[in-house]
Amino acid sequence: MASKIAIQDFDDITYNPFDSDEINFGATLDPYPQIAEWRATAPVIEGDYRSKMGLTSALYPDRKVFTVVGTKEILETLTDMDRFSNEGYKFNIGRTFGEGSISTMDNPEHGRWRKIFQKIFLPQNVKPWGEEIVDPIVKGLMDKFIPRGEADLIEEFTILYPFAIIYKQLDLPVDDIRTFQRLAIGQTDYVNADKAIEAGRKQGVYFSQLVEERRKHPGDDLVSLLANTEVDGDYLPDLVLISFLRQLMNAAGDTTYRGTSILLTALLDNPDQFDAIRADRSLIPQAIEEALRWDGPVLVQLRMAKVDTMLGGVAIPAGSLLDVVAGAANRDPAIFADPDRFDIFRERKPHFSFSRGPHICVGQHLARVEMTRALHAVLDNLPNLRFDPDKPRPEIRGSMMRVPRHLHVRFGD
Amino acid sequence: MPAITVITREGEERAVDAGAGLSLMEAIRDAGIDELLALCGGCCSCATCHVKVDPAFLPLLPAMSEDESDLLDSSEHRDATSRLSCQISMGEELAGLRVTIAPED
Repeated sequence: MASKIAIQDFDDITYNPFDSDEINFGATLDPYPQIAEWRATAPVIEGDYRSKMGLTSALYPDRKVFTVVGTKEILETLTDMDRFSNEGYKFNIGRTFGEGSISTMDNPEHGRWRKIFQKIFLPQNVKPWGEEIVDPIVKGLMDKFIPRGEADLIEEFTILYPFAIIYKQLDLPVDDIRTFQRLAIGQTDYVNADKAIEAGRKQGVYFSQLVEERRKHPGDDLVSLLANTEVDGDYLPDLVLISFLRQLMNAAGDTTYRGTSILLTALLDNPDQFDAIRADRSLIPQAIEEALRWDGPVLVQLRMAKVDTMLGGVAIPAGSLLDVVAGAANRDPAIFADPDRFDIFRERKPHFSFSRGPHICVGQHLARVEMTRALHAVLDNLPNLRFDPDKPRPEIRGSMMRVPRHLHVRFGD
Repeated sequence: MPAITVITREGEERAVDAGAGLSLMEAIRDAGIDELLALCGGCCSCATCHVKVDPAFLPLLPAMSEDESDLLDSSEHRDATSRLSCQISMGEELAGLRVTIAPED
C-alpha cells in the first residue's frame, strides 16, 4: 500500500478489552431455567433483562424497560414495525458503532442501506468464500496444533478463525491487526462506556483513512467494494459505511466464534450424534441449525415502543425499551418438544438465533458457510476427537451472549 | 376479498380469502399455513416466502424488483414462475389466483 494509514490504540494501553466479556455479557452457566420460569408466569414482565440476570445496565436511557419472553410477543415485537422501533439502539451501539449503524434505524431508511449490504451477503455470493477464504485460514490454524494431538479448540481455533476471515476480507495491513482487534472488542465494553466510545472514535478515524485509500487504489477486498459502491449516483454515506465496518467485527466475528464453539461443544457432549455426522456429512446443516437453536450465541435484542400499546396483556407506554429475549423462543416447549435437549434429528423448525423481522441477521448465510467449513475441517483433520480427560469440561456461559471459554480436546490415537 | 387457492408442500389445496391491502404472504400466513416462514416479516430481506405462481396469472403481477430477483437466485428451486409472496399485494384482479409454496431450501 502506497501511503501509511495510522491506527491509534487506547490512551490507556494497560486497558485490556478482552477482560470485558463477563461484566458485559454475563457468566451465568444456564439462564434457561430462569427464562422458563418467567415464561410460565407471563409473556412480558416489567424490568430489564440485564439487571434480572445480575448485570449492570450500561448506556440505557432512564425509562421503563420490559422483558419479553413469550414467543408470540417476541415475534410481534420484532416484526410489527408500526408499534416497535430499533431506536433503542441509538443509546448504545449508535454511540459506539455510530449513528449510521443500520441496526439503529427503522424502515424505510434502514431498508435503503440494508439492501446494499444484503446483496453482498446473499448465499450465492458468500458460498465461494468458503473455499477461497475460509478453508485456507482454518487449515492454517489447525496445522499449528495437529502435531500435538491435543488442543484448546477455543483459544487455538474458534476465537481466531472468524476474525482472521474478516481481516482477510478487509485486507487489513498485518501490523494494524493487534490494535484493530483491541479497538473492535473494546467497542462493546458498554459497562466501561468511556472505553467503548473511545474505541468507536478511533476505529472511525482508522476506517475513514482506509476508505479514502481504497477509493484511490481499489483492491478486490470488502472495504474497496463498499467504498466504491454507488447509490443513486453517489457513494454510500460515510456515516453508514463507517458504522457498518465498525459493526462487522462484532456482528460477523464475535457471533461466529460463539456459534462454532457451542456447536463443537454440543457435538462432543453428544458423541452418538457426532458419530452420525462422521458417517454422513449431509447431516451437517441440521446439526448447525440445532446448535444455533439449542444455545444461540445472542439471546437478546432491543426494541423501543413507538406508541402506547398492549403487549401480552401488559400496557407499554410509548418510549419504553423492550429487552426481547429471542433466545427464549428457541426453548419454548410449545414449539420445540423437550427443548433443552440437543438433538440434531428433531423436527426441523426455524429458530430465532438470527432474530426475525426486517433486521434479521444480514450475515446469516456467511455464518453458515463458516461453521460448515469449520466442521468439515474438524472431521477431516481431527480424527477420534474427544474431550481431554485430564482437563476441565467446557462450560457454556453468559446471559446476553453465550460461549465456553475453553474446549480442551484430544484427537488421533 | 379475492378468493385464492394455496397448494401446500404436501399437495393439499387450501381456499384462502385474501383481505384487500394484504400481501399474498400475509394472506397465506393469516390462513394458518405456517410452512411459509416469511422470517423477515415481509420486507424483501430473506427468501422464505417463495411461491410458484400459476403461469396464467404471472402477467397480472407487479414487476419483479432487482432485490427480489437477487433473493430468488439464492433458492435452488427458482423457476420462471417463482415470486416472493411478500412482494405481491392482493387486489380483486388476482381473484382465482393459484400459488404453490416452493420447497424449502
